Amino acid sequence: MPNSFLVVDDSKLHHQMYKVVFSRGTLAGSTLYHATNGREGYAVLAEHPELSLVLLDLNMPEMNGLELLARRRAEQLHLHIPVVLVTTEATPEDEARGRAAGAWDYLRKPFQPADVEQLVARALAGASVSTGK
Amino acid sequence: MTSEDNAFKALLDDYIVECLPLSERIADQFVELERCWRSGEPADELLPAVKGTLHTVKGNSAMMGLTPMQDVAHALEDVCVLLTREPDARGESSAALLVEGGGLLVDLVRTAGAGDGIEAAAAFGQRVRGFLAQVGRNGSAAAEHADRRKGDRRSAPRGPGTEAAGNVVRVDFRQLDTLLEVLGEGMIEHSAVNEAYRRLMRRVGELEELSDLDRAVVALEKTMKRMEAVVMGTRLLPISTVFGRFPRLVRDLAHTAQKRVRLVTSGGETPMDKAILDRLSEPLIHLLTNAVVHGLESREDRVRSGKPEEGVIELRAASHSGRVMIVLADDGRGLDEAKIQAKAEALGLEAAGVDSGNRHAVIFAPGFSTAEQVSSLAGRGVGLDVVARSIHGLGGTIEVVSRPGQGLSFTLSLPLTLAIVRSLIIEVDRERFAVPISHVAETVRAEADAIHEINRRGVTLWRGDLIHVADGGELLGTTERADSPRRFYIVISSGAKRRGLMVDRLIGHQDVVVKGLDPALGHPDVVSGTTILGDGRVACILDAVRILDQRAAGAPSTGATERRMSA
Repeated sequence: MPNSFLVVDDSKLHHQMYKVVFSRGTLAGSTLYHATNGREGYAVLAEHPELSLVLLDLNMPEMNGLELLARRRAEQLHLHIPVVLVTTEATPEDEARGRAAGAWDYLRKPFQPADVEQLVARALAGASVSTGK
Repeated sequence: MTSEDNAFKALLDDYIVECLPLSERIADQFVELERCWRSGEPADELLPAVKGTLHTVKGNSAMMGLTPMQDVAHALEDVCVLLTREPDARGESSAALLVEGGGLLVDLVRTAGAGDGIEAAAAFGQRVRGFLAQVGRNGSAAAEHADRRKGDRRSAPRGPGTEAAGNVVRVDFRQLDTLLEVLGEGMIEHSAVNEAYRRLMRRVGELEELSDLDRAVVALEKTMKRMEAVVMGTRLLPISTVFGRFPRLVRDLAHTAQKRVRLVTSGGETPMDKAILDRLSEPLIHLLTNAVVHGLESREDRVRSGKPEEGVIELRAASHSGRVMIVLADDGRGLDEAKIQAKAEALGLEAAGVDSGNRHAVIFAPGFSTAEQVSSLAGRGVGLDVVARSIHGLGGTIEVVSRPGQGLSFTLSLPLTLAIVRSLIIEVDRERFAVPISHVAETVRAEADAIHEINRRGVTLWRGDLIHVADGGELLGTTERADSPRRFYIVISSGAKRRGLMVDRLIGHQDVVVKGLDPALGHPDVVSGTTILGDGRVACILDAVRILDQRAAGAPSTGATERRMSA
C-alpha cells in the first residue's frame, strides 16, 4: 500500500508544489490529501488513520496549525501520525510552542523538494515516533 | 537558482494567479500609506499587514527560483521594517520608494516567466540600500535587516482560498466560448422540440403518450436553464480584476496633475462575464482620467471653495436585477453649464428634447469637449462619445448627473453577459425581431384612438408622459408592409428615455443566444446582432439604445419643429 500524506495549507500554489514533490523520485505514487484550512484538515485527519505524515501550515484562516494540534491533543486523535509544522521564519519560542502542542518537526518556507523528501524519509524511518510525549 | 532548473517551474501560472493579487494589494497599500502619511492620518495597522503579504510573496518567489521578485520583495520588506522602527523616516521620499517598488513588484509578477527584470530589480535594490544607509546613519543598524522576528504572516490578508486546492483546473477562455455556443445550439434545438410538440398537441389533442413527452420537454427546459447558469458561472470574474489597477493609476494621474486624490472603491466582488470585463477597463480608465484631470479642481481652488484639499473619486459596483451598475462619482466642480450650452449650440446639438431624459447627455456627442486646453493626461482627441460608444457596444447605458460645484457622477448599467439575452420576440410585417427584455418597459395593446399624430410623428400618453411612437416597419425597414393596422406597441426604455414601437404581434419571451452581425448582409443600424429562433428562423436583435437615440427616425423633423413641440 502506498504511503499517504495530508497537506493542510491555504495557499493553492503550495498545494501544487507539494503535488510536484510527492510525484517525483521515491515519493512517486504516494497518495496526497489536500485541505485548505485547519477545520477541513482536521476532518481529513480524522478519516485517515493510515496517514504517514501531515504537513501543516501554521497560519491559516478558520483554524490555524496550532489550534489544530491543540484540538488533536485534546481529542486524542491519531496521535501516532507525525505532524510537521510549516512556517516562515519561526522564532525558537514559536518552535517550542509548536513542539509542546504536538508538532513532530518543522519545515521552513521557502522550501525545495529535497527538504520535504528528507523530512518524509526521516518520518518513515522512525515510523514508531511518538509525538509530543 | 533560475526558474529554468527549478522543480516548480511548471507552476508558473499558479504562482501568478496567487501572487499577482497579493502584489497588487501590496502596491495599493503603499499608495494608501503614502496618502495617509501625507494627510497625517494614522496608518499604524497598514505596515504590519503589508509586511506580512510581502513576506508571503518573497517566500513563494524564492521557492519558484524567481530571484528578481524575491529581491524586490525583500528590499521592500527591509524598508517596511525600518519605517516601523523609525517613524521619523516616514514621508514623501520613503513613500515614493515604496510605491515605486510596489509597482515594480506587480510588473515583475505579472510577467513572471519572461525572464526579464533582473536589471530593474538590481537597480531598485541599489536605491533601497542607499535609502537604508542614509536613514541608518541616524544611529540604528537598520540596513542590516536584522529585524527578522515573529512569524508575521499572521497579519497577512488571505486570498480567496475557499475552493479545494486540488479541484481547480485551468481552461482556455475560448473553450468556454465554444461551450457557450454549443449550449446556445442546444437551447435553440430545445425550443424547436418544444414548438413541434405544441403543434402536435394542437393537432391531436390530449393523449396519454403526449403527457410523457410534455414532462420530458418541461424537464429538459429546466435542465437547459441549469446548464446555462453553470456555464455562465464559469465565465464570471469579480469586477475587482478590473478595479485592481486603478488605485495606482489614479495616484500617478494625481501626481502628474499636482492634485491630491483619494479613490474609494466598493463592490469589487461583483461578478461579471470576462468578455465584458475585458472591454470595460478602457472606458473606465477614460472616465477616471477625466475625473482627476478635469472633474476635480486644483488644490487651491478646492480650498478656496471650502472643500477639503483632497478630492475623492468613488467607484462602486453592484449587481442589480440581472445587470451590473457601476457608479463613478467625483466631488469636483461638476459640469460647466454655460460652456456646455454654448458648445452644444455651436455643434448644432439640441440640449433639450422630449426623448432626452437629461440635457447633460450632449456631452456624449461626438466632438464634444469643454476642456479649455489640451492636457498631456486627458487630451482632447478622444471624448466621452468614445466612452459612450464602447458602453453601448456592450449593451450598456451611461448616464451623467452633474451637481454644479459638488461633483459629477456617471452611472453605467451593463449586462452580466453578452452571450445570452432574455428577449421579447415581436413580429412586424411577418418578420420577427428580438428586443432585450431589460429595455422593454411595457407591452400595450394599441387602441384605435391611443396614438395621436403631432408634426407627423406618432405620440401617445403613457403613464402620464407624452412619448413618441414609431412605426416598427418604418424603423426596421421591413420589405413588405402589412395593410392592417398594428395591434400593439412596446415601450422601449433606457435610463430616462422612452419610446414606443408599433408592432403586429407579441410572440413571447425567449433566451436568445447572440450571434454577431454579418457586415456583408447589411442591417439597419438599430440592430445589434442576430439570433436563431426555435423554428430555425433568423431574427435580428434590436439595439434599444440606438432606437432611443434615433431621435428623428420615422419623421424627418428639424430641431426647430421639435423645440416647438416640447414647448
